[in-house]
Amino acid sequence: MERLDTISSLQYFVPEIVLVFTLMAVLVCDLVSKNRAPRERRLLIVIPSLIGLVVALSYSLQGSEAVSAGLFHNMVAFDGFGQMLRVIFIVTSIFVLLFTLHSNELRLVHHGELLVLLLTVTVALIWMANSINLLMIYLALETVSVASYVMVGYLKTDRLSNEASLKYILFGAVSTGTMLFGLSLLYGLTGSLDLFEIRSALSSQEVVASSGPALMVILVLVLAGIGFKMATVPFHFWCPDVYTGAPTPVTAFLSVGPKVAGFAVLIRFFYGGLASPSEDGASWAMVGSVDWQTMLMGISVITMTLGNVGALLQTNMKRLLAYSSIAHAGYIMMGAVVLSGEGIQAMLAYMIIYLFMNLGAFLVVIVVHNDVGSFDIKDYAGIWRRAPLLTIGMGILLFSLMGIPPFAGFLAKWYIFSVVIDAGLGWFAVIGGLNSAIGAFYYLKILKTMFIDGSDTPEPSTPLALQPLYAGLLLVLIVPNIIGLLLWGYLDRVTEFSQKLLDAM
Amino acid sequence: MISLEHYLIVAAALFSLGLYGVLTRKNAINVLMSIELIFNSANINLIAFSRFVSGDTEGQVFALFVIVIAACEAAVALAIIMSLYRILKDVSLDEASVLKG
Amino acid sequence: METLGPQIIFWAFAALMLGSAFIVVHGKNLVRSAFSLLATFFSAAVFYVMLGADFLAGVQLLVYVGGILTLLVFGVMLTNRIYNLNLETQTFQVLPGALVSLAVFVILTTVVVRTPWSQSALIEDGPTTPIIGRALMTEYVLPFEIASVLLLVALLGAAMLVRRRTDL
Repeated sequence: MERLDTISSLQYFVPEIVLVFTLMAVLVCDLVSKNRAPRERRLLIVIPSLIGLVVALSYSLQGSEAVSAGLFHNMVAFDGFGQMLRVIFIVTSIFVLLFTLHSNELRLVHHGELLVLLLTVTVALIWMANSINLLMIYLALETVSVASYVMVGYLKTDRLSNEASLKYILFGAVSTGTMLFGLSLLYGLTGSLDLFEIRSALSSQEVVASSGPALMVILVLVLAGIGFKMATVPFHFWCPDVYTGAPTPVTAFLSVGPKVAGFAVLIRFFYGGLASPSEDGASWAMVGSVDWQTMLMGISVITMTLGNVGALLQTNMKRLLAYSSIAHAGYIMMGAVVLSGEGIQAMLAYMIIYLFMNLGAFLVVIVVHNDVGSFDIKDYAGIWRRAPLLTIGMGILLFSLMGIPPFAGFLAKWYIFSVVIDAGLGWFAVIGGLNSAIGAFYYLKILKTMFIDGSDTPEPSTPLALQPLYAGLLLVLIVPNIIGLLLWGYLDRVTEFSQKLLDAM
Repeated sequence: MISLEHYLIVAAALFSLGLYGVLTRKNAINVLMSIELIFNSANINLIAFSRFVSGDTEGQVFALFVIVIAACEAAVALAIIMSLYRILKDVSLDEASVLKG
Repeated sequence: METLGPQIIFWAFAALMLGSAFIVVHGKNLVRSAFSLLATFFSAAVFYVMLGADFLAGVQLLVYVGGILTLLVFGVMLTNRIYNLNLETQTFQVLPGALVSLAVFVILTTVVVRTPWSQSALIEDGPTTPIIGRALMTEYVLPFEIASVLLLVALLGAAMLVRRRTDL
């Protein structure tokens, strides 16, 4: 990987620069429009944010020349993998920005800071996912964290939101502090902060012979921080509480953005620092003396099982989706275990499809809350008679989350399971399959409530209020789940491209 | 002569004390103080390694950023505690339990 | 005799650091905990000086003692209207917590002592400020800029959270 200095790095850094300038511009727009009418003022901050995100997105989409470089003296990587993730984060951010516009929870609060925070997290997620230096990993991870702590507590007169925020920051600070201690030991063991130098230090024979226990301790400590972002066991405790307390658009964002970035850090850290690629770049071999593959496998199995079992008991929609997102983290991790380019490809495909199905499900939660004013699953009874199309849409999203063919969620699961089976880990795929079966129970429970419950009450039902903006967004989020099969070839090409460029690591 | 291991053991002890505080204290501000102990222990590690192992200032630069991050985190955490205090009028982790883990 | 001086300083401040840290995590009084934290931060700064990190020692004193600690003391005072009342904190799960952290300490110490750290020749002591300043403007310019974004967002977030009105 070519190491670039500051000036020559800038040309690969346009989307990030655009986002940083956008967030500052939005901050200024918010201040100068202070005396205008609230509606006008909101337009003045939403429109610049959207323009900034779209410009950044268009730059990220066209920057597809096949290069890979270490920008800013090997602080962040620029490669296909990173370009893909950049697009994922910006798209998520655009959706969430639109989610906030008509959400009842956010009706009474001013949106200025929320948008600035959202833009900050977006750009920090890009930095986090592309970091190839221990200092950068930690700094970007903390920037994401600090901004999301505030986003969770954005409803400052609401007790739940505040409590969620406090839990999040205390738990987060402990996890990242633990990670930091691990990183400091890793620096001591290898004498470097650069992941590639760490890899070559760990490959030397004398270090391998003597560093076993130290490396083990380091990995456990570092996984505390990454696991906190991915919400994998045993660092998932915060997840149900924080997801419940945060405003729902923020919850939707947290369930996709930081999770995907967490997995990106996992790949960069383990594949970049603790594994060396084979000649043809299609697979990796572990370096150092710790079998972290087994470690990740164990985490994956426990995470998906606890997530699915936990979800069975939930009566609150947001808590249920929180546990479901924990379970999905377990599935995604299966792709990281196999140490092959195909595994990374399967992970990327899964995360892209997860973005659409999960954001869609949360949007339905927002829509129902706007009308019913509740997150309890029992209040979803009889939605079918009030909004048949919405219910069918939710059905498609839930079937996709379940992994039922022909929806996109099935393709994602099938891809990741087949990669695992190809790697000779059949039993691992079986556990994944069993977990999907458990998962079907609670997703079907929601559907049953929506379709069947409350249908025996004779009272005439009024149609559910659905804002045109949300209807359009739902359509955009649901359609990829249906035509996933048609897009598959394209998705395969895209992920293959990004995986190929990762090989340079 | 004071060796690298001396510093590392003190840092490990400080880390464990911080962990102990995090696990046992109920008051949010007290948990925050324990977290600061953890950050400090990592910084001692970084600076000690910077001197004894890598022989350059890389670790010191990292430690500098850690101090910046710790300050940001403390400021935001205290703001959240203030905001919650206005609602609860008593900051205690036990109180913050409408949400059940 | 020459090496005795640093040794005495090291052990004295190590004892001060760990002793005050113990009061921080185990004291019953929040104000006392906050002031013990001062001693911990100060001892850490002394360590930094002994390790040849003069600039970091200064930053430690300025930011930790001057900033974070002041903030914490304000937090303690503001969240207790009548501040000698209701400042008592209760501790639960002391035994499991103590056992876990003791186990962590034993594991960490064993690892730290057993691992042969590849120690290079010691660098000469000298002022580190110009070296760090140059590093921040060259190799670490991106983290430096990101830190400014982080500071901006922390400032914004903290101000937003403590402001009373929600509609602005």
